[in-house]
Amino acid sequence: MLFIMQLTSLLLVVGLLQVSAKSFSQNRITLSVNDQPLKQVFKELRLQSGYDFVYSSRVLKRLKNVSLHLKDASLDEAMMQCLKGQPLAYTILDKTIVISLKDNSISSATLQMPDTVIHVRGRVVDETGQPLSGVSVVLQGTTTGTMTDDGGRYTLILSEDEGTLVYSSIGYVKKEMPVKGKVLINVTLDKATSSLDQLVVVGYGTQKKGDLTGAITSISSKDFDQQPVTRLDEAMAGRAPGVQVTRTAGAPGGAVRIRIRGDNSLTGSNEPLYVIDGLVGADFTDINANDIANIEILKDASATAIYGSRGANGVVIITTKSGQKGTMKVDFMTRISSARVIKRYPIMDAADFAEVVNARGLALAADPSAYVPRFSDDQIASYRKNGGTDWQDEIFRPALGQEYQLGLSGGNENTTFRVSANYLNQKGVIDNSDYKRYSISSSLNTDFSDKFSFRFRFAGTRNEYHNTSGTGARGGSLGQALAWAPTTQVRDSQGNFIIKDPTSSIFQNPVALNEETDNRNNRTNLNLIGGLRYEFVPGLSLDAQLGIDYTNLENKGYIGPDISGNTPSASRSSNENILLQNTENLTFDRVFGDVHHLKITAVFETQKFIGSGFNVSVNDLTYPSLSYNNIALSASSNVGSGYSDWSLLSLLGRVDYSYKDKYLITANLRRDGSSKFQGKNKYSVFPSAAVGWKLSKEPFIRDMGIFSDLKIRASWGMTGNQGIGSYGTLSSYVSNIDDAGAVFEANGTIVPGVILGNPGNPALKWETTEQTDAGADISLLKGRLNVTVDYFIKNTRDLLLSEPVPGYLGGYSKLSNVGKMQNKGWEFAVSMNVLDIGQFNWTSSANLSLLKNKLVSLGEGTPSIILGQFILQPGYPIGSFYLNKYLGTWKPGEADQASLYGAKPGDAHYEDVNGDGVIDTKDYTITGNSVPKATIGWNNTFSYRHFSLNIFLQGMLGYDKLNYSYAFGMLASTDAKEVLFSDIKNRYIPGINETSNIPAFSGTPTNAIIQSSRFLDPAGFLRLKNIGLSYNFPHTVLKKIQDLNLFVDVTNLFTITHYRGIDPEANSNATGGLGSGGINVDAQSGTDQGAYPNAVVFTAGLKINF
Amino acid sequence: MKWSFIIILLIIVSGCSKDFLHEQPKGLVYGDVAISDVPSLDAALTGAYKGVLRTWSRGFLTASFQGFSMGGDDLTTLAGGNKASKRQIDQFDVTADNPDIAQIWNGCYKMIQGANNVIANGPKILPTVGGDQSQTALVNDIMGEAYFLRAMGYYWLVRGWGPIPLLTQISYEVTPELLNIERSQPKDVYQVIEDDLKKAIELLPDAKRDPGRPNKGSAMALLADVYLTEGGWPVKDASKYALAAAEAKQVIDNKDRFGFSLVDLNLLWSETTVAPPGSAKEDVFAFQTAENYGGSNNSFTGASTIPAEEGGWEDYESEINFFNNFPEGKRKNLTFHTIFKASDGSMVPWQKSISGHPYYAKFRIDNNGNWWSAQPVHMIRYAKVLLCYAEAQARADGAPNSDAYQALNDVRLRAGETPVSGLSPSDFINLAVNERGWEFAGEGTTRWFDLQRLEMVEEMNDDVHRNVLENPIIGDHGKITEALYWFPVPLTDQNINPNLK
Repeated sequence: MLFIMQLTSLLLVVGLLQVSAKSFSQNRITLSVNDQPLKQVFKELRLQSGYDFVYSSRVLKRLKNVSLHLKDASLDEAMMQCLKGQPLAYTILDKTIVISLKDNSISSATLQMPDTVIHVRGRVVDETGQPLSGVSVVLQGTTTGTMTDDGGRYTLILSEDEGTLVYSSIGYVKKEMPVKGKVLINVTLDKATSSLDQLVVVGYGTQKKGDLTGAITSISSKDFDQQPVTRLDEAMAGRAPGVQVTRTAGAPGGAVRIRIRGDNSLTGSNEPLYVIDGLVGADFTDINANDIANIEILKDASATAIYGSRGANGVVIITTKSGQKGTMKVDFMTRISSARVIKRYPIMDAADFAEVVNARGLALAADPSAYVPRFSDDQIASYRKNGGTDWQDEIFRPALGQEYQLGLSGGNENTTFRVSANYLNQKGVIDNSDYKRYSISSSLNTDFSDKFSFRFRFAGTRNEYHNTSGTGARGGSLGQALAWAPTTQVRDSQGNFIIKDPTSSIFQNPVALNEETDNRNNRTNLNLIGGLRYEFVPGLSLDAQLGIDYTNLENKGYIGPDISGNTPSASRSSNENILLQNTENLTFDRVFGDVHHLKITAVFETQKFIGSGFNVSVNDLTYPSLSYNNIALSASSNVGSGYSDWSLLSLLGRVDYSYKDKYLITANLRRDGSSKFQGKNKYSVFPSAAVGWKLSKEPFIRDMGIFSDLKIRASWGMTGNQGIGSYGTLSSYVSNIDDAGAVFEANGTIVPGVILGNPGNPALKWETTEQTDAGADISLLKGRLNVTVDYFIKNTRDLLLSEPVPGYLGGYSKLSNVGKMQNKGWEFAVSMNVLDIGQFNWTSSANLSLLKNKLVSLGEGTPSIILGQFILQPGYPIGSFYLNKYLGTWKPGEADQASLYGAKPGDAHYEDVNGDGVIDTKDYTITGNSVPKATIGWNNTFSYRHFSLNIFLQGMLGYDKLNYSYAFGMLASTDAKEVLFSDIKNRYIPGINETSNIPAFSGTPTNAIIQSSRFLDPAGFLRLKNIGLSYNFPHTVLKKIQDLNLFVDVTNLFTITHYRGIDPEANSNATGGLGSGGINVDAQSGTDQGAYPNAVVFTAGLKINF
Repeated sequence: MKWSFIIILLIIVSGCSKDFLHEQPKGLVYGDVAISDVPSLDAALTGAYKGVLRTWSRGFLTASFQGFSMGGDDLTTLAGGNKASKRQIDQFDVTADNPDIAQIWNGCYKMIQGANNVIANGPKILPTVGGDQSQTALVNDIMGEAYFLRAMGYYWLVRGWGPIPLLTQISYEVTPELLNIERSQPKDVYQVIEDDLKKAIELLPDAKRDPGRPNKGSAMALLADVYLTEGGWPVKDASKYALAAAEAKQVIDNKDRFGFSLVDLNLLWSETTVAPPGSAKEDVFAFQTAENYGGSNNSFTGASTIPAEEGGWEDYESEINFFNNFPEGKRKNLTFHTIFKASDGSMVPWQKSISGHPYYAKFRIDNNGNWWSAQPVHMIRYAKVLLCYAEAQARADGAPNSDAYQALNDVRLRAGETPVSGLSPSDFINLAVNERGWEFAGEGTTRWFDLQRLEMVEEMNDDVHRNVLENPIIGDHGKITEALYWFPVPLTDQNINPNLK
């Protein structure tokens, strides 16, 4: 009985949220009565539906009898039929149907004078003192009750002065008050902090939160609307356990790495699968964060297996906002921001630098007596007096940003709509970099009839990235600002750029790099989704959806004369990607015998992708000022084009069964066929199963009175990773002219050629990830404290590995299914209403994820794979650094030992791992790791009266980063030929500073080793991601305006870290794709070579709703 | 609502064509169809060239070329700075992760793979051209070039690494056998080289198809050089000297037929971005490059060879004693750059310069701020054929004949030196060897390999010959042993194949 009530309230929520409360599909009612009193009919309906009825017996007595013939009708239909022609209305609340008089229900109800004379009156208000209307007030154990009016007032006539009144309303915690002879009972209802009835979008359907058996984290727009969030990753960062969001490039619109429960693949993508309004495989940058209603993060196999071959990396389901019935709503929001770089590198001023150059030159001179100082004393004195160039000053700037958001929504009985437009313009803290976004989206839902509904969504987004990528590379302006000598000027006396640094860097002038680089990446995405839904009979419906996702990528690049040796070059490329999707979803949902709830979902889905593009790059433009806009006039051109396609054909099914709403079982099966594989490898089946037990529904737990909810659950399943490119089974040739073309005449035009590329592997197949998860959802203190705990083990087998092919066999790499990888971890999420005193309220949510990655095998005969400064070695996690272990400097007492290595005190001292008396690459050893072991997030909202303060901390712990920015600036043996970092002043100086671990200037070759733990920094950090204050104008002040909210925010205000660079979060590696050796960059990221750092952003803005 | 069913039905049907899961690699060159006719065979040959001609990645287009030969006494690099990889070679302390040696290793093997592919497919294409004579000739030319390239690849590899994996078949399959292949001994490698060059001589035409390709004479000249090397360490087969002399003589006798001759050194080392017209006759074989294609630039000219005073990268320069012992005159003046123009306009002699070394003028170009040019990569110059003949003949016959004197004096005369006569056989041979060092100074093709084959490495790097201002020898505890004549196999390959450690 209880179960039915729960389900019905679930559906009630659907009704309120969406279109109408039409179908109560679980409660099939068959009833045939002739001329019976209403009371009798209600009794019958109560038995069949499981709903309690609240009514006034006296009113009912006066009404005429009814005749009724129902067969398999919904409760709704039954009620309509039953009350037809009666002056009665009904409202469904929680699990109760409240019957009242149609016109003036409340007062009418009170007019019915009872036999006894006890009147109880009162007022029901919410936490802020606002009156609550429509609250049901029922005398416990009876059908006597009423509802509050618009002013929150109620009057109830009771037959005795004992008993308990129960106050309930959707979205509020139920409250019980003993009558004890009182005639005035005022009540404050608390907002329900956790609603287990809340609906959660799961793959190809929805489920009540309380019924979930899988590990799914939900983020609602309410969780981040207090913060200046513009993109999906910002909404997810720190808010979901098991999700790691790393903002690897701090540029506006910059790259971000999102990983759910670790990295599973060495060659395939580790990106989660994004599903936006049912479109599988969408790109998250194509959505405006203001359009997001809900984000569901599917983590365990039970949740993700429904996505089969693409579920292994977790799934992020995004549901966009849609309109609601009622009057039209207009909401407007604007934000203005100013950003500055979070920190700077300590670099010497010109005079100190010149002295260090001289000191180093002298120390390294073959014949010190003949050494002529690079900088004279006069020059140094002049630098001391006049200063030099602070290159960081030259490239960084305070950067402004603005965002405008306008939304219109509304609807009538049958149709709802929402239209939203957004404009975002953010400048980057590095000069001449910026990001703009224009987006518009609209959605329309309409019911043609009770059975047939239609929905349509259109969204268009244009992202314009200007110099936001590449700027963070070593050759970029920040990298070079850390390499150019402070003694070198930006421009000469004529105002022209100094092209070459005579002292330190061998690369381009950082300021010229900023000014003469013009890279634009314009991404235009159009997304159309149309869906039809038909309900054959209540509980059985077919949903057909067609989606088209069109993306055009237009890239333009220009490199000016001062940074190209006076051969300005330009490039353009255009790519068009079309993804078509067709989904048919048949759902059957019914309750049998009051206790068996069965839900079956069967889906047929196809997807087809076609991408094609062309590119051209030219050298030595005749008219540089026309840059990429007129590339016909140039000395040479390089043209290419490409095509790729794939298709996926899927059949999937899911069965959800629950018994007495206590025992839950979910089983999934998906069969995917993919064009990317051959023969029997084309098809694969991905099963999963999960069980849940709502312990809190068991009397022995319920009677303890501790838990308002307690559920334990466990799941197992398999998912695949199809994140490899098309045509991996084919051996193909490289044919682009830079890599395969040659010239045969002096300065001739290029002759195109073909060169053997990666050997294909016809036996290629899916990578399979098997995941086991156990979790518990606990709710205590009447729902004020909620805890979710999960433990998981993911084993990936048939690991796709891009095995390096030795140079003697032509190099490149070959994809094979060879290895094994494991990820396991714990996830904890706690949310709590910490304090609620008067008008002060503090809610807090925190999460912690612990992740342990281990590479289990690289296949037979491959003991390890070395990827530059990284190594893949079974038994160790991916991202392990492979370095010479630095032990500090040789100290004065160690001269004899040092000399065995050709070193002397003051020289760098490394561990001689193989003990052969030589420090070289054979002494590399696994030292440190770049994958964070723990991720934490802590979000707090304090509200007092109309003020609200948000404090959000985020951190990643337990990882290292190879700080090459620092290494390059300290070694003077890379593209920077001199030492620039202030740290060098603390170096070992014989006789003066012999405790320092920064080696002395010396020609000893091992001092210049860069691949060393000397430059490995712990990178763990805790960051104040957001602190924001907002003020909500009280309704008494506002007239026609519904809400007015003013806010100020600061993001990234401070960072606690031991990292020596600017930003522990930023790194110089790409966020996706393959790196060296054809191995995913995830296994070899975590180096900083001038990475674009994150910024401190000050934001102010307002929101208005009409 | 019947129409709703129709719509749904249509949607369902739309996804189910028979070939739905069939991928269409419309933009891909792949599989056996990739080489199916003469143009595609020629494209594969172009790809074989590309093996050693990918700027910054593989082969002979960067200063890795000079770096590879830095064991010679004509080349050195900075004591500090970012030149560790080249310094390792200069100091005989080469680690397996050295990027300069990897460029040559990977480049030569990529070229060999491409050549293997052409050699395997050429015979299949030949019947398809029917009786078309020009097409038949073209296929033969393509095959001849492929044999030439494979030989040249192995010649560089065997001198760099000694015993090496020897692959003469093309295979798409990366089998465990291939991944664990054993090294072949130098004499076996030389056998393949000789056989390939003989085939190339047979197949190649007299006239080069393009300036950047070999002709019959190029293959003969390379074979002569191979024989000369085989006469010395490590093969030490003295009978090869006669073969070297004979092969070189054929080239000299037919130089007009092949279009070879010495050109004025002023023309050859004209410091232009593109070699001037008329200079190409010097090249028996040269790879061509282009200014405007990033993947095909010559990047060891210009900035790479420019001193710090002039804002260069200082990748390689001359050793001090080599410069000091270099005979004065026209050739010396054209070979070296000795007075540097500092950014403040002052002129700095090399002795007072930051690096304290003379630089090579040979590789300067119009704008030395650029690191790219269209200068050819002189792999075999005609002067080399002459000097090869002179030395080989003298060694083979025990004394130089008049043709040998003629050959040596042709080179000396062009260099502005006086002709020699009446030398003892050993003096003649020594002069021929030294002449090679001077003539090809800094080019990366000759001096190091001469020291290696003649086992002069230790001597030329001893305290007497090597200036104290040079980077000190690290070697094996300060000594150079013959084990250090060869490089370790690049780490990336060692890591995959334990037999290469």
